[in-house]
Formats: sequence, C-alpha cells, structure tokens
Amino acid sequence: MKKDSDDKLDLLQGTLDLLVLQTLATMGPRHGYGIARRIEQVAADGVALNQGTIYASLIRLQQGGWIDAEWGASENNRKAKFYSISARGRKRLAADTETWGRLTGVVQRILEAGPDATTP
Amino acid sequence: MIAALQRLWARTRALFSGRRLDDDLAAELAHHLEAQTADFIRAGLPPEEARRRAHVALGGIEQTRELHRETRSLPWLEQCGRDLGYALRAFRRERGFTATALLILAMGVGLNTTVFSLVNTVLLRPLPFPDASQLVQISNGDPANPAQGDLSAIASTVATWEGLQQTTQAFARIEAYDPFSVRNTFRLTSDAAEPETILAVQVTPGLFPMLGMQPLLGRMLLPEDATREAPPRTVLTYQLWSRRFQRDPGIVGRTIQINRTPVEVVGVLPPADPFTTVFFPAVRVDTYVPVVTENSRNWGNTLALIGRTKPGISPAQAAADLRRALELTKERLPAHERYMFANGVSLQTAVAGSLRRPLLFLWVAAGLLLAIVGFNLGGLLLARGVRRGRELAVRAALGASRGRLARQLLTESLTLVAIGSAVGALLAYGCILLLSRRTGVEIPLLQAVRLDGSALGFTVLLCVATGLLCGVAPAWRLSRADLQAALNADGRGTTGGRAQVWTRSTLVLLELALASMLAISGGLMVRSLMNLLRVDLGFRPDQLIAVRIDPVAEQSEAALNYLGSILERAQALPGVQAAGFTDCIPVERDRSWAVFPINPDHPNERRYDGAHVRIVSQGLLRALGTALIAGRDFTASDDAKSPAVIIINRTLAERFWPGQNALGRQVMVSHRTPMTVIGVAADVRHGGPEVPSGNEFYLSMWQLGPGSFDLMVRTPLPVRTLTADLRGALREIDPTLPLTKVRPMSELVDRTLSSRRLVAALVGGFAVLALGLAAIGLYGLISYTVSLRTREIGIRMALGADGRSVRREVLGKTFQLASVGLALGVLGAMALSRLVESLLHGVSALDPSTYAVVVLGALGCVFFAGYLPARRASRVDPMIALRAE
Repeated sequence: MKKDSDDKLDLLQGTLDLLVLQTLATMGPRHGYGIARRIEQVAADGVALNQGTIYASLIRLQQGGWIDAEWGASENNRKAKFYSISARGRKRLAADTETWGRLTGVVQRILEAGPDATTP
Repeated sequence: MIAALQRLWARTRALFSGRRLDDDLAAELAHHLEAQTADFIRAGLPPEEARRRAHVALGGIEQTRELHRETRSLPWLEQCGRDLGYALRAFRRERGFTATALLILAMGVGLNTTVFSLVNTVLLRPLPFPDASQLVQISNGDPANPAQGDLSAIASTVATWEGLQQTTQAFARIEAYDPFSVRNTFRLTSDAAEPETILAVQVTPGLFPMLGMQPLLGRMLLPEDATREAPPRTVLTYQLWSRRFQRDPGIVGRTIQINRTPVEVVGVLPPADPFTTVFFPAVRVDTYVPVVTENSRNWGNTLALIGRTKPGISPAQAAADLRRALELTKERLPAHERYMFANGVSLQTAVAGSLRRPLLFLWVAAGLLLAIVGFNLGGLLLARGVRRGRELAVRAALGASRGRLARQLLTESLTLVAIGSAVGALLAYGCILLLSRRTGVEIPLLQAVRLDGSALGFTVLLCVATGLLCGVAPAWRLSRADLQAALNADGRGTTGGRAQVWTRSTLVLLELALASMLAISGGLMVRSLMNLLRVDLGFRPDQLIAVRIDPVAEQSEAALNYLGSILERAQALPGVQAAGFTDCIPVERDRSWAVFPINPDHPNERRYDGAHVRIVSQGLLRALGTALIAGRDFTASDDAKSPAVIIINRTLAERFWPGQNALGRQVMVSHRTPMTVIGVAADVRHGGPEVPSGNEFYLSMWQLGPGSFDLMVRTPLPVRTLTADLRGALREIDPTLPLTKVRPMSELVDRTLSSRRLVAALVGGFAVLALGLAAIGLYGLISYTVSLRTREIGIRMALGADGRSVRREVLGKTFQLASVGLALGVLGAMALSRLVESLLHGVSALDPSTYAVVVLGALGCVFFAGYLPARRASRVDPMIALRAE
C-alpha cells in the first residue's frame, strides 16, 4: 500500500484493540501515554491516532480481562496507571493476529487479481 | 464468551461506580497531557503551544471522557435511570396530581382486571376439563314443559342411562352423578376425633376419568366398586383428608366409619377438585362414593348424565344421536317407563348459562368504569401537560434536544402508568383472592378464578394509550411551538386555554353521562335485590335453625323411635318455640314426585302432576312459620298403623279441586296407597325468592320411614347456644350425635341470592366510584376555568358585582355542563335497559323513581364539585387579580 505523507490512515474499527495488545505484548507494562506514543512511533505517524480513543480501548480490554491495570509511578515519578497483557489477552492477540493476516491476505489477493485469476 | 460476560458484568457494575471511574480517568488524562506537553517542549515548542498541541493530539478531554463512559458502561440504561430520577422528582413536586392519578389508575386497572378475570373464567374460558367442548349435559326435561326446571327434570333413570350408553353412536362415553346425593349426609366416626356430619356425592366410576381427573393418592373408583357385593369404598376430597386425617399418606387402604359402616378409602383427590367447583359451587363435598345401580334402579330419576362426544361430532349430530338412542332405549322398556327425554346441552352452557346475563352486565359496567377512569386520567394529564409544556418550552429554548425531551416525557408517563398498574395488579390480586375464598357464593368456577394476564395487559395498554394521548401529546405540541406562544398558552384567555377547556369539558361531560348510566343500572339492581329480600317466602327464615340429624340405627322402627325422642326433647328445650323434622329444606333441596287426585266417580282416571314433596314430622309447619290454611297438622300417631294422610299446599289444592274444599279428599302419590288430605298449607318458595312456588305436598315421616333429616328449630337463641343445649339434652339418647351441621336458615336463603348480591354490590360500588370520579373531574375543570377567569372576575368585582352573584354564575355554569351530561346518561341508561331488564325483579328497567333518585344524587355531587371553586371565585380580591397580569 502506498501512502501520501499528508494522507494519514484512519484506523479500522477494532484494530486499535489489536495494536494495544501487540504493544503491551512486545513492550511489557506501559501507561496510556506510553502506549499511544509507541503506536505513533511504530506507525511513523502514518495513522491519524486520536490519542483519547486509547483510553476507551484500554477500559474495554480491561473489562474483558484481556489486560490488567495497576497504579504505579511513571518515569518522572508521577502517579500513572500501568497496563499489562494477561494470559487471556495473549491468546486473543494470537487469534486476532492470525485473523488479521488472513483478512489482509484475502483483500490483497482480490485487489491484485487480474481478469483471468483462478483460485490458487 | 467468558470475556463477553465478564465485560457485561463490568459494564453493569460501572453503572454504580461512575464517579470513581471518572476520577481514575481524570488522573490518567492529567498524566497523559503532562507527559505529552513535556515531550513537545523537549521537541522545541514553546510551553503554551506544547500544551495546546497536547490537547489536540488527545482529541479533547470532554470527548475522551464521553467516549470512555459510553464504552465502559451501559449508556442507554444510564440515561433511562436519569430520566426515571427526573420523573420521580417531578412526581414528588406534584404530590396531589401524582396521588390522584395513581389512585385512579390503580382502581381502574384493579377493578377491571378483577371483573375481566371473573368473566373470563366463568363464561369465556373452556371448563377446567380436557377437551371440555366435547362434554354435553343430557337432561330429562320435557321440552313441552320448559318451566319445569328442578333437579328431577334434569335427572334420568338408571334405565335411561344404561339404554343410552348401549345405543349411542356419537358419544364416546356417558357417565353420571346423583345430584340428590349432595343433600345426603352421613356420620363420620373415627377413633381420635369427634364424630362429624359429612357429605358424600355418588358418581359413576367412569365419571372422573371421563372428566380427566387424576387421584393424588391411591386410585379412583372402579366399576367393580359399584356393585352390591363389593365392600363399601370411597375416594376422599383433599379437604376432608387434610381436615380430618392431617394428610396422612397412609390413608389409602385404611377403613373409616361412615354411619357405623366400615368403608375403605381407595384414593384421595388433589386440592383442586374441578368437579365440585363446576357442579356444586358453594358446597363442601367430603367424599365420593360409587352409584350402585342395582340399588337405585327403581328410585326414579336419580342420575344427572354427562356425555363426552367422539372427536369431530357436531352439536347437531350429538342431538340427533340422542334422539335416536332414546327411541331405541324406549323400545326396550315397559310402556309406563317410557316418559323420558334426552336433551343435549353443551356442559358450558348448562353450567354458566344462567350467569351469562348478570356477568355480561357486570362486564359492561366494568367497561363503563374503565372508560370513566380513562376520561378522568385524560383530563388530569391534559391539565398537567399544559403546565409541563411550558416548562419544556423553556428547556427547549435553553438548548435541550427534542429527543431528550420526548424521552423524558415518555419516561414520566410510563413510570406513572407502571406504578399505577402495579398497585392495580396488587389490588386485583387481592380482590380475586377475596372472591375465590367466598365459599358461600353460588357461582360455578368461582374458586378457580385467577388473575388473568391478558385482561391485565389489555387494561394497562389502555392506560398507556391514555397517557400518551393526553399526557405526552399536548406537552410535546407545546414544546415545539415557539417559546412566546407556549409561555402564554396557559395564560389568560388565549386559544390554548380555551381549547383545553373545550376538550376537558367534553371529557367531564362523558364521564358524568357514563357515571349516571352506571348509577341508574346499579340503582335498579339494588332495588331488585331489596324487592327480593322482601319477598314472602311462605316461611320465616329469621330465628330458624336447621340441625342435621343422621340416625345410625339399622332397623326402621328403631330409627323412627330415635328420631321421635330427639324431636320430643328438642321441642321441650327452653327457648325453643317450635321444632319439626323435614328431609328437604326449602331453598336447598329440590325434588318432585308424581301425584294425582282420586276421583270417586272415575276411579281409573289418572291426571299426573309433579309436585315438590317434603317428608316431615308434626310441628314442622309451625317451626317454618308456614301457615296452615285449613285442616290439621300431622301428629305422632299418623304412623304406619294409621290411615295414610297428606298435607297439600294451596296451589295444589286449587289445581285439583278449584274453588272446593280439599279436606277429606284422596290423592295418590306415586304407586303408594291412596292418601287422605288432612290439611292445606300456604305456598312456600322452595327455590328461593326468585322462583315462584309450585305444587307441593307434605307426607308424615312416621308413615314414610326414616332417613336423614334436618331438625328445623324456631328459636331466638344463637346457633352456638342452641347446639350446646341440644347436645346436653340429647346426650342420653345418642352421645355420639355429631351436631356439626347446624346452619341458620337465613344464611341458606342468602346463598340463593349470593350471585345477585355480588353483582349488585359490585355494580353499586362501581357506580359510587364513577360518580366520585366524575365529581373530581368536574371539580378540576371548574377550578381551572375559574383560574382562567380570575382577571375578568376581578374586574367585575371591582365594578361592584358581589360575591353571591359570582358564585351563582360559576355554579350555574357547572350545572349547565352537568345537566347535559346527566341528560346523556339518562338516555344511555334507557338504551341499556334492554340488557338490564332480565336481571331485575319487581322493578321496571325504566323505573322513574330510580332515575329520579340517581339524577338528584348526581346533582348533589355536581353541587359540591362546583361550589368549592365558586366560593374561591367569589373571594377573588380585585386588586390582586388585576395586578397579577
């Protein structure tokens, strides 16, 4: 996929949860701001992330038991809430990643298919 | 799946911990913004700009918080809760309105549900038997003589039963019970408890299985129990089992003593006994025993037949089949036994047919009351709607969204209806419980009445519709109008106010019309009841007590001696004015025998007539208070050794020997010896106040032989004292005499009027409520018009009008409105008179005095409804009224 520098992608519904889980899985416990920054950095500012939506995603994941939360002190010694992925969260991450991979694969194939394409 | 449930649970919990979650989020966001700002500053932005960019990157604190709330909780529910809170707060502000509306709602819902449930159970729903539509009552009435409606005309002979059973093709089964056996009592003795008088109904063994009834314990009666050789066996009702045997599970197979005969208990019925509720309402049946046809073959018409048609048989086919089967049956019988009929009527009609009109009328009355409730509620809500409308217009002007306001109006009106309906449902539940516990009311299935969900639902829906139409619609319209108009709508004499007065006047007018209609009908019902209570029964039920005596001696002579000495001692008791035996209490038992006069010139001429027969002792007529018009009473010496004698009533004497002296003439009763008439007695209304008397005669019990009797005692003593005195006096003769069935005669007479009394009381109550509601409605309306005219009244008073003339004017307006409503009501009642007519007794459906009394009473209500606002109007202070603008 190509992208213009001033044409940021809107996140698809539901993908934010996946990104948050992936972030926590690779980076370990993080607070809300840390997660937001990490996603922005990895995406290299390629997505239009409304940072506030992270918090809706976090409470949703927390209520479902996919992540745990704990109050702690941030790097500059301020009170912050730290989130970490749970076992159930890892399971979901694996499943969702797999689904995502298949979905993008299928979409990709359809978009690239010529007029004489057959099922592989 | 687990995660989804866990999340739902967390969201529900979040409803109640919103504040803590908000605080948490606020702390997180503060940290987030701080960190972001610091990062921007590090990247080289000025602090002010860094802070701004941090907010932009976040997307706004408010939006984030809103999104967080929606995600973490159930926003729809939360909103509802908030609306509910507003509604309750609004109700608390308007206590008067809320209390009135709730009261009206609860009454409307409660009473209507009760009546609809009653009508549904008794009239509309199938009888409580499986495939009840297949059940047919087969009666023996002569279609040429439809007036003859007593039990003897319903019941058939054993020969008819057997013949029909063998020849029918359309009926799967024909079974029977002995309707006379419900008046037979027996003495139950068991080791532990006192002996008691019980009631045993005779049924054919196939009856209960045909009705789909199952035993709770043991088994039902079987064909082999219904033979002369079989040991006596019985099935107990649940009531006797619990009362007498403390629900002993080991009762089956045990032997109990009935009239000193050992009887084996083979089964116990479940608590709900549909047979009794349908066939013997207001009777406490204790046991069921088999009809032994070998015994009752020659006893005449003793069996009430119930048949179940084969599937797919139409009523016409069943009737044709009965005609055919009857002819075949007759062919097998000797000529003199061929006077028989077999009329099939659906069991439902046979059971509830006579209640159809009273209950339908009750239904109409409840419907009228419901309409009045609706109109009244409508008027109340309209008035409130205008007040609310202005408030809503202000809120709309201040920026509240339409949807928000609509939702709140809806919540308010639904909350009101919900609370009112809940109270109403409770009320209905209570009323129904009260009704079904009334064992003294002769309405079949009354014990089976249950709260009817569909009736409740229908009534509540109607209230919701009223709420929407009268409560939400006007307020909604007002809130959409521009603010200026809305704020003025309630103002002095603008179109909004006038339109409301017009609508509410119409509602009040209709209320008054319906209420007076109801009151006139109710008045007529009450007058009928009063007429019936004054009817001369031919005996005096007050100070008359019936004591059931079941002799246990096997020998006829011994039993007669036993009864004779009981009578002597009873008559000698202090406080007893007269006493005598009868085997047949008027208004309770119902039996007729054939009788014809012997013409000395034509000894072979036989002109049979049916007549009610009572087998009695001397003193009975005096105890009943029935006049002996000519001749003498029986004496103790009118016994088997002396010539057969008979006392006949005036109607029978007139029928046999019109205008002549009946004394000394002879009659033949059934196939007995000729009997000489020794007395003529006054007529007795044997079927209660509503049934005219017919042919009657009395026979001497000393000549007819023993059986179970009621000792009728005329005494001013209370039942308890009499029972104790009798027990003392009779101890020597029979220490085990139960004396448990001692009943004041007035109660038995009341019972024949019980369903009429119930309907009259309900309709009367409805009428009073209706008039009250109409008066409240009228009061509210007149108060409102007075408040609209405060300024005008103020000006007139300032110009010199005095309080009296103002008062007169307001009252005049009230009466003007009311008289239109009352006139409509009178017309409506006249239209209703056709339905009411058949329910009345001794009063015309257009009785002018009842109409006049109701109209006057209604005008009294109208006066009060108008006087209070009129007085307020006359006290208007001109200065204050004029300044108020």
